[in-house]
Amino acid sequence: MSKIAEIKSSFEAEVKSCVKISEVQDMKVKYLGKSGELTALLKEIKNLPSEERPVFGAKVNELRNFIENALQEKLFKVKELEMQEKLQNEKIDVSLTSVKPWGALHPITLVENEICNLMIAMGFEVASGPEIETDYYNFQALNIPEDHPARDMQDTFYITDSILLRTHTSPMQARLMEKKQPPIKMICPGKVFRSDSDASHSPVFHQIEGLVVDKNVTLRDLKGTLEYIASHLFGSNTKVRFRPSFFPFTEPSVEVDLTCSNCGGKGCSLCKGTGWIEVLGAGMVNPYVLENSGIDSGKYNGYAFGMGVERIAIIKYGIPDIRLFYENDKRFLKQFVK
Amino acid sequence: MKLPLSWIKDYVDITEDIDTLCKKMVDVGLEIEEVVYLGEKVTNVKVCRIQEITQHPNAERLLCCKVDIGGEIIPIVTNDHNVKVGDKVPVALHNANLANGLHITKGKMRGEESWGMFCGGEELGINGDMYPNADADGVLILKSEAVIGQDIRKEVGIDDYVIDVSVPANRQDCNSVLGLSREIAVALGKTCRKPDVSFSENDVDTKDLVNVRVLATDICKGYYMQGLTDVKIEKSPLWLTCRLAKVGLRGINNIVDITNYVLFEIGQPMHAFDYKDILDKTIVVRRADDGEKIVPLDGKEYVLNNDDLVIADNNRAVGLAGIMGGVNSGIKDDTGCVLFESASFARMNVRRTSRKLGLRSDSSARFEKGIETYTNNLGLSRALHLAEELGCGKVTRGRIGYGETAENKTITCSLNKIESLLGISIPNESIIKILDSLEINAEIENGTITCVVPPYRDDIVRDCDIVEELIRVYGYDNISGTLLENSQITCGGKSEINMDVDKLKNILTGLRYDECIFYPFGGKDLFAKANVQITDNKKYIKLLNPIGEELSMMNRELAPNMLQCVSLNLSRNNGALRLFEVGKVYLADELPLNKLPYEQLRLSMCATETDFDSFRQDVLQVVRTFTSDNIKLERASSSILHPGISADIIINNEKIGYFGKIHPKVSGNFDIETGCMYAELCLDKLFEFKCREFKFEPFAKYPSVTRDFAFLCDEDVAAQDILDEFCSYNLVECAELFDVYRSEQLGKGKKSLAVSVVLRDKNKTLQEKDVEKLINKALKNIMEKFGVKLR
Repeated sequence: MSKIAEIKSSFEAEVKSCVKISEVQDMKVKYLGKSGELTALLKEIKNLPSEERPVFGAKVNELRNFIENALQEKLFKVKELEMQEKLQNEKIDVSLTSVKPWGALHPITLVENEICNLMIAMGFEVASGPEIETDYYNFQALNIPEDHPARDMQDTFYITDSILLRTHTSPMQARLMEKKQPPIKMICPGKVFRSDSDASHSPVFHQIEGLVVDKNVTLRDLKGTLEYIASHLFGSNTKVRFRPSFFPFTEPSVEVDLTCSNCGGKGCSLCKGTGWIEVLGAGMVNPYVLENSGIDSGKYNGYAFGMGVERIAIIKYGIPDIRLFYENDKRFLKQFVK
Repeated sequence: MKLPLSWIKDYVDITEDIDTLCKKMVDVGLEIEEVVYLGEKVTNVKVCRIQEITQHPNAERLLCCKVDIGGEIIPIVTNDHNVKVGDKVPVALHNANLANGLHITKGKMRGEESWGMFCGGEELGINGDMYPNADADGVLILKSEAVIGQDIRKEVGIDDYVIDVSVPANRQDCNSVLGLSREIAVALGKTCRKPDVSFSENDVDTKDLVNVRVLATDICKGYYMQGLTDVKIEKSPLWLTCRLAKVGLRGINNIVDITNYVLFEIGQPMHAFDYKDILDKTIVVRRADDGEKIVPLDGKEYVLNNDDLVIADNNRAVGLAGIMGGVNSGIKDDTGCVLFESASFARMNVRRTSRKLGLRSDSSARFEKGIETYTNNLGLSRALHLAEELGCGKVTRGRIGYGETAENKTITCSLNKIESLLGISIPNESIIKILDSLEINAEIENGTITCVVPPYRDDIVRDCDIVEELIRVYGYDNISGTLLENSQITCGGKSEINMDVDKLKNILTGLRYDECIFYPFGGKDLFAKANVQITDNKKYIKLLNPIGEELSMMNRELAPNMLQCVSLNLSRNNGALRLFEVGKVYLADELPLNKLPYEQLRLSMCATETDFDSFRQDVLQVVRTFTSDNIKLERASSSILHPGISADIIINNEKIGYFGKIHPKVSGNFDIETGCMYAELCLDKLFEFKCREFKFEPFAKYPSVTRDFAFLCDEDVAAQDILDEFCSYNLVECAELFDVYRSEQLGKGKKSLAVSVVLRDKNKTLQEKDVEKLINKALKNIMEKFGVKLR
């Protein structure tokens, strides 16, 4: 019996000093293995009187359980220690934060996408049309007959007498209305061309045309739609103002101003102190345009608007010169990707 | 249209300050381009009286003056000797600014105090048309009644604003002081006075002076004449030339100044003929003969043709209709009898002739905007009134001419129409009040407004025009937004091609390419630099009126603009570039165009600091996004690219694009020293091969077998051919190239290709003997076909 106590105490002393997995495994062999101390002890059972054997056996088993549990526990602790030590040594420098940026979409594309997505949510279809256009669709169908002074408003690039580079995206109004009866909700982004070029004009620029034709469409709906666009593009506090204007294809026609996003309407250099920025032209579709395209102007009304994409980008992103859009300097392009 | 505030005040009482006035003008639709205060640059200059003049003690050419500036006497040193004691002159005081940019400060001149400087007309920004003797050299001697101490701007008439108004293209009636005054009266809720057109006539009957015949009635809608006898040609009074000066004109003589004055005030271009130069008392308005010559007042000779309209006597043209009078019949110092012409010439005709001859005048500019017959008589009467007022001569009796009389027209508009367009209703009393202010007589009965519209409003033709008039005066601020609440629901969205383009752009930005947007045109030089085939120059669609040669031809390739951009970025040291553009090229069947050309959507990609293999990966990644069809790469034929390091992309036997290294000649032309990789793809064609459908396939049940081989072969053996050969066997699942090796041991012009082949039978586990059989057959074929050896 004293042998059992002896083994237990020597085990306890020994297990305490274990720090490696291998030492624990060695102890397992030493105490519990085939030629281990407990096996040797158990072999002595045959030397005992038969009445003592069950008690001795139980004690040895008790000790075996004790050792097994202790070793298990020790093994767990030692593994944990070793893991800690290993992790300590695997430490690397994690501080670097730079990444190669994604390729950038052009700011014109960003604005177009933003507006298209807004309008799609309202049930608008996105249409596109030819950039080389006929005089008919660019002018005549839009109530701009040949000798109308409104032709002077747009300096046109001609290819032949009757074929030209479209001066606006409005030809798509006529093209769509010829093909489709109301209800119509369309937007059409695209390149347009005017033959002037200076710091604030480029011979090529982008417009987005909007058109709604249905029963019960009013000027209030036009204002509401533009308020919806403006609040998403420039923030929910943006206000929309209509000023009387003239376009041959709308009547009434309005010039649309937004509260200056730079100063919030207080007046600054961007809005020349007025608090308002002119962003687009709009109006109720002129009945002549509806009739030219085969739509009953007695039954249907419509609204239309056309906005300059560069203009919006200039205001939204603070771009100082329209020529930057077409120079495609990498230092410019890379500013539009995070 | 330049509008002096002082001139408007002839017609409308204006008590509002300039900012309020401008805001109200904008509210009714008059866009303000600019507001110029004429005295803006001239500050702190006053009227003074010279009290004493003494010789400067230290300088022979200088005078020392004591001047009274209103309760204070100050010293001024001057080198102008035209001043004398008692003269009233302008003096720029300490910190004054002058029109020529000078800033004046107190100081000493050769030891004598001088608290400012006397000014001449030029320094005040005025000329002799605005103030007597303002053109003279030296100090401007003011009128004796000038008030000492007063701001000089009030004395010389530059205490005035000129408002530059942009008139809407349909409102030709507003291109005059009178027309704008009418609008301003509406904007301010005031009345607009009528111009004074009264005059008395003498005993000379106009009919006896001249006989007018209008032959070209299609391009001359109105032509009126009335004359002046006993004409005295002299300078116009200052009040008149001063007004002309404010709109940018110099005074010439009383008769010519009156025509200019009426042009600006009434909006009617006028012309004055010297009667003695009109042969046979006859004026004929006719088309010019082909080859007919005329020398207008600019002194140059112009050759005309049958498209041009002239005013002629019985013998020769005496004026180019609406543009300029002939030098043969102009007003001269000895003119004794004048014929005034007031007419309506067709705007397109004036425009065409003016553009063709390169001859413009205030008159032609005005005619190009459109002149209705309404103002013909008004303008002529106003001119005659002024002539009488100025004492230029005596008005002849009766008016002769030709023309339709402009009539009022009646337009109806239902109240429902107002509501259906605007979404709001306007109270009846407001409707009547607004229309009345616009000189439109209106009555409302049974829900309909009947409007009698004055003839000068040729822009008002149907009910929606009335609605616009109402809302622009009623105020757009009364419109609050709604979001199509009474409209039908529609299905929106992008077209398939637009969605494909979006997807393409996402892939490309994911591959770290930046999007560019270029002008879709260029010029011969640029295209030549890019080595694109311009020998067949005729294929390019050309603009008739380009800004310059370099922007005159529509693109047939995207490459030139892209390469120019690469060149620009490299010259700015912008580092490695990866760029793309989605743009159009314009392909004509036939030139000149008789129908719209095919606008083909293309993608261009360009990358520097990369190699062919990496760039090929990017290009194929893009192509593979849209199609799983069979893609082949063949040696490219594009002249833009390096012939040995470029490929055409072929899908199902159709070429959809090309890519590779740009031709060294092209990189040289664009100063792209390191060269770059370029690709151009026809997106229309690529999208045709698109497959959208996904279909699940069960996983392979049986294991695969992989075998690797190394082939020793000549440099010009295409690795893809060997891979294709393996893949032509049913059991081969895929074959890939995993290494290319070259060394001295292999020999010059040789390479070793390491290929990995995966075999699998879908229906059973492959047996070693089947694999051996297939591989042996494949290897034998490959070695025979391509002359390669197994290493």
